[in-house]
Amino acid sequence: MSSGLYEIENLQLSIGDLHAIRGVDLSLQRGRCSALVGESGSGKSLTGLSLLGLQPAAATMSAGRMCFDGIDVAGIDEQRWRGLRGNRLAMIFQNPMTALNPTMRIGAQIAETLRLHRGMTATAARAKALALLERMSVPRPDAALKRYPFEMSGGMLQRIMIAQAVACEPDLMIADEPTTALDVTVQAEVLALLAELQRESGMALLLITHDLGVVARLADDVSVMYAGEIVESGGVNDVFYRAAHPYTRALQRSMPSLLASDVQLQSIAGVPPDLRRKLSHCSFMERCGQAMTVCNQSPPLLDAADHQRSRCWLSHTDCPQPLREAWHRG
Amino acid sequence: MISWIIRRLFAGLVTVWFIATATFFAMHLVPGNPLDNEKAVAPEIRANLEKRYGLDKPLLAQYGIFLGNMARGDFGISFAQENREVNDILREHFPVSAVLGITALLFASIGGILGGALTAHFRGRVADRLVMVAVIAAISVPGFVVAALAQLAIVNMNSWHGSQLLPVAGWGSPSHIWVPALVLGLGTLAYLTRLMRSSMLEVMSADHIVTARAKGLSAMQVFRRHELRNALLPVVTELGPTVAAITTGGFVVELVFAIPGMGRYFVQAVQQLDYTVIMGTTVFYGAFLVLVVVVVDIIYGFIDPRIRLYGADQ
Amino acid sequence: MSSIDAGLFTPLQRDGKAIKDAEPLAVPGLLNRLAANAQARLSFAVLVALFAFAVLGPVLWPQSAAEQWLSDVSVGPSRSYQALLVDPYAEVDLPAAQQLTAVNANTEFVDLVWPPVDGAARYAIYRKLANSDTVAGLPLATVTELSYRDRLQLRRKAYVYRLVALDAGGSALQELSLRVSPVAALSVFEAQMHGLVKTGVSAASLQGQQVTIPAHPLGTDAFGRDMLARLIHGARTSLFVGLVAPLLFTAFGTLYGALAGISGGRVDQYMMRFADFVVALPFLLFMILLRVSLGIGPGDSGINTIILAMLLLSWPGPARLVRGQVLQLRGHAYVQAATIAGAGRGYLIIRHLFPNILPLLLVSLSFAIPSAIFTEAFLSFIGMGVAPPTPSWGSLCNEGIRHMMSHPHELIFPALLISIAVLAFNLFGDALRDVTDVRTRQRLI
Repeated sequence: MSSGLYEIENLQLSIGDLHAIRGVDLSLQRGRCSALVGESGSGKSLTGLSLLGLQPAAATMSAGRMCFDGIDVAGIDEQRWRGLRGNRLAMIFQNPMTALNPTMRIGAQIAETLRLHRGMTATAARAKALALLERMSVPRPDAALKRYPFEMSGGMLQRIMIAQAVACEPDLMIADEPTTALDVTVQAEVLALLAELQRESGMALLLITHDLGVVARLADDVSVMYAGEIVESGGVNDVFYRAAHPYTRALQRSMPSLLASDVQLQSIAGVPPDLRRKLSHCSFMERCGQAMTVCNQSPPLLDAADHQRSRCWLSHTDCPQPLREAWHRG
Repeated sequence: MISWIIRRLFAGLVTVWFIATATFFAMHLVPGNPLDNEKAVAPEIRANLEKRYGLDKPLLAQYGIFLGNMARGDFGISFAQENREVNDILREHFPVSAVLGITALLFASIGGILGGALTAHFRGRVADRLVMVAVIAAISVPGFVVAALAQLAIVNMNSWHGSQLLPVAGWGSPSHIWVPALVLGLGTLAYLTRLMRSSMLEVMSADHIVTARAKGLSAMQVFRRHELRNALLPVVTELGPTVAAITTGGFVVELVFAIPGMGRYFVQAVQQLDYTVIMGTTVFYGAFLVLVVVVVDIIYGFIDPRIRLYGADQ
Repeated sequence: MSSIDAGLFTPLQRDGKAIKDAEPLAVPGLLNRLAANAQARLSFAVLVALFAFAVLGPVLWPQSAAEQWLSDVSVGPSRSYQALLVDPYAEVDLPAAQQLTAVNANTEFVDLVWPPVDGAARYAIYRKLANSDTVAGLPLATVTELSYRDRLQLRRKAYVYRLVALDAGGSALQELSLRVSPVAALSVFEAQMHGLVKTGVSAASLQGQQVTIPAHPLGTDAFGRDMLARLIHGARTSLFVGLVAPLLFTAFGTLYGALAGISGGRVDQYMMRFADFVVALPFLLFMILLRVSLGIGPGDSGINTIILAMLLLSWPGPARLVRGQVLQLRGHAYVQAATIAGAGRGYLIIRHLFPNILPLLLVSLSFAIPSAIFTEAFLSFIGMGVAPPTPSWGSLCNEGIRHMMSHPHELIFPALLISIAVLAFNLFGDALRDVTDVRTRQRLI
């Protein structure tokens, strides 16, 4: 695997006795959009925060490797983290209505990042903020700078969040459910804007979402997360058309899909495992229709195809061929 | 903005009218007329007095006179102290209460805001737990007990030291202010600490704080620019009731420390059934507290743009 | 990679037939959750103890709260003791003395006799406590006879008498001193008043008998009344006001708020505008004002007046709370669905409204009680609460603070009880709020 912008290997995170992230590998490349997909509670938002060193204070985190552009960020102190955050690593959040300070003018909030990392004067930061809002197609950007968050719509606020995030031209932007809280019509606009910005700047984009439709539109690579671990990763088309992991397929069938509109929706029976317990078996075994005796042992990440990896025994070279064929027939 | 302030002031005026009306009719619930309590007076003097106080007129006419007088700021003449206008009494005693109250308010609000913000940031640690226990205890001990204990402490301290370190009671020098003001502010300090702590905790877990941290701001910058202002909002709304609590708490503290303020005078007037003083003081304090609430509303509007721009609907 | 046995690639045998979804979490009832909360348990235990103190107190400690033990004024905690019955006004023949002698020495009176001193025109008698260092100030008396009866507030302590013989010009000729420890005694008249001995019997026949003076575990007040008995009766007053007033104004406020919320529209608007006005009245000032204007009749304790005044001023709080809930519930889909399904108004109130506001009301009540106790204490403290001699914790503090410097126990015990009660109610309310997850911002005074 080529050395990417941000390499994460075996990220682990616990909050008290809750083992929330149980081994996440990610490789984020400049100019590419990677998606991290999973249901709520799978640990994907926590993973996003951990990439900025913003995991909760009560959490203990460890990683085999956590390397951002040659910097071993696992070992750096808070001050160096602050130099990266908002500057080279930016993040936008699910609900733009609550993610902006309600008592501060929008202009001041955007300018804050610029003054902090670029040492701009108030006037210069204001001018840059104005240009950013224009770039984000916010109508009447000069008036918008003087507004407060509650005076604007969710879609506009998410554009402002994006403007704030790209103000310092970051190398990586993490977008945590960027469109979930927005109206459907607005979602498309915001997604288009994100795609456009990424293409222009060549930054890496990590898209955290549960919406496979969003992934299909934007992402180059996708990692599917379940119960705190990556269960499948690969190129978007590979994973979508030839899912190697039963959970990925179950996820697809449980969502109204853009790809297969004639398939009846199916919910996934059962509940995710209790992450307070130590898991020695496959985390999806209890809900899996394909479960085998071998699943009593946790599977490693296995190569399912070129550039596609799956944490399922079905991808093991010792798995009998008829079983594999049956799986691929669906 | 201006029209919103004018609306608030007008609503305040209507409230003052209601307070005055309630005061007037509450006082006229008293059976008979106030002069019945006086020593036997000659009929002509009595008639004179009734005329002077307007007691010979029908109730509604009296109400009209009363409202007119109140509107002009004339609260009448004391029953118990002949020839002394209630206004004179207010002019003499209210400033004393105001000095005491403002000192207590400053102590309570600064201490409460700092204490609340700090305990929130050190939540769960031993210091936080201790402060919260102290706060609950302080809220649960009546003000007059705190006042009495403080006085007892001063007496013992003075006698132990052999000289007067702090005056036990009275008024006149700056050294007379500190202990009563601390005692008066203590309950409010505890209450505000608790309020500020929970409000701070709420803000600290808000989404926009994560955004601020993701910008690369330091903990101190996040606190100063993002947490403090938002956490202050509920504390500011409580300033009105806080001033009311300190005002009435002042009655007891002034009584215990023999401070010649309006509170002590009011309690005396009540015990002497000095009707005009009671009515005048109630309306005056009522209007004062309404004014405080209006001013707090306006301050709140400056801090919270949502209120300023859209107006507050209770 | 090591090879894996093909036998492991066989379908997993599940114990159950189907994959089970999560069981809905069993939510324990309010009482169970309260019982699981340590703070709630502790504060509840304290409250039970306080109510037991008030309710059972008079049974377990039957002393009257009004009975005055003039022989034991402002004493600290004391045990019961035997007292000699004496008649301080009976004439006694005093023998001539060779030296300064105490003929009778009891706490009702001490008879001193002494031999004449040559040239003495009069005798000045001084008294001090044996263990105090003060040099005698003013004499108890200056007499010309050779005897003196001291009846001035004698206690069961050791005294030193000093007799100074003075000549006509007032200069001291000779000084005599005597240490006296008077025995406990009670006048026959007082003993009859307390019912310790029969009345209608001549004083002389009772003299010399022993009677038992009851213990005062917490001492007595400045009128010689038993503090424990006064605290028990004070608890009855304070807790009665503290419970009944909030119950009444919460009940009234609930009705008012529910009516406003259910009526809606203009009626609701006017009703709530009026409530806003009442809220704007400065509370304690108006408590005082209403207490003055409602007045207290002769022989009335004033408890009802305080409760009525609180009811008049405090109902808007719960009224706003309930109205808010009603409006919120009216907007809920399930209530609308029930309405469409033809549910009656009464059914809606009982089935949907009441269970939803109950936790809210309980929490609001649990904070209203300590604040009512505080209010009563404040009013009684400034002399505008219950009328003497009815004790309440506040009025006991009011009396106690006057003697704070010399007899601090008279202030400390009632103050401690108020603080404990308010603390326990506050902690209980806090726990209740946590358990019910109700968000209120109640002011604690």
